[in-house]
Amino acid sequence: MAEVLNVEVRNTRGTRHAQRLRQEGGVPGVLYGHGTDPVSLKLSGEQVALMVRHGSRLVELNGAVSEKAFVSELQWDTFGLEVLHIDLVRVSEDETITLEVTIELRGEAPGVREGGVIDHVVHQVEIECPVGVIPEKLSLSIKDLHLDGSITADKLPLPPGASLLVEPELVIVTCHTVAEEEEVTAGEAAEPEVIGRKAAEEGESEE
Amino acid sequence: MALMPKRVKHRKSQRGRIRGNATRGNRVVFGDFGLQATQGGWLNAATLEAGRIAAQQYLRNEGRLYIRVFPHKPITSIPLETRMGKGKGEPEYWAAVIKPGTVLFEIGGVPEESARMCFARLAHKMPVHVRFLKRKTV
Repeated sequence: MAEVLNVEVRNTRGTRHAQRLRQEGGVPGVLYGHGTDPVSLKLSGEQVALMVRHGSRLVELNGAVSEKAFVSELQWDTFGLEVLHIDLVRVSEDETITLEVTIELRGEAPGVREGGVIDHVVHQVEIECPVGVIPEKLSLSIKDLHLDGSITADKLPLPPGASLLVEPELVIVTCHTVAEEEEVTAGEAAEPEVIGRKAAEEGESEE
Repeated sequence: MALMPKRVKHRKSQRGRIRGNATRGNRVVFGDFGLQATQGGWLNAATLEAGRIAAQQYLRNEGRLYIRVFPHKPITSIPLETRMGKGKGEPEYWAAVIKPGTVLFEIGGVPEESARMCFARLAHKMPVHVRFLKRKTV
């Protein structure tokens, strides 16, 4: 079920107004798409935080605007604690959209017991998906991943009607042995080479 | 051996000021969990290496550790009992300039509990305050 967000139309623009809105506990946002004019919105910070916690991508807007929207982008502060701005795209139920979905690894790989390390190479993939079946994340089972094995994008469990927009041979996760690190003798650390300086000059400076 | 550049344009650099927060390198990109600086400062190459060793010893070949910063900045110093003047000192060590928000290390392929324990050990060695960070899904 889509998360419900109460929205108000925001008539004020600019950094200062946006900062003031955030101090009051709101989140500025914008709604666009379907060839109509964009609308600046004011959302509740608590509701946005809840939406993020639930991992919802599809939301039901309520209040000044009543339509379904897809969360296209979230802007975070430096520390990734607060949402600064939210981009919403108008969508209809029968529409197909392109989005990036997170891949979550499930289970324990037998390759780890064989002495390998799981290397999650690709964390997100782009898919084309009907709006009604947008997944929060794609769960990929690694219980058959043995040492020196890999799982490619075509093994991803997609929702009905969805299709991958990446190469099917794209490696998502691998299991391999860790390369032994070279032991470097701790000696006098040499100075790096200075670009553009000739060897003769370097010799002079050392003297 | 501690990290340092292979080639540089200049042997010495001015001190500079650390202003503002990190606007890049402030998200978990490679692994699943990260260690984020909440303070600014210089991170010595030797400290970075100490952190790496502490993390690797805890992980014991499980998961993967990523170092997200590199010591690009040469730090000079004047020898003891030397009179002031006579020019800038010689490069002593290399440091990474850390702005608040910079992700220093990342870990992938381990459960959250292990990552927290590992970063707790590593955090003791850091000269700046740090916090645990997870990858953003939305």
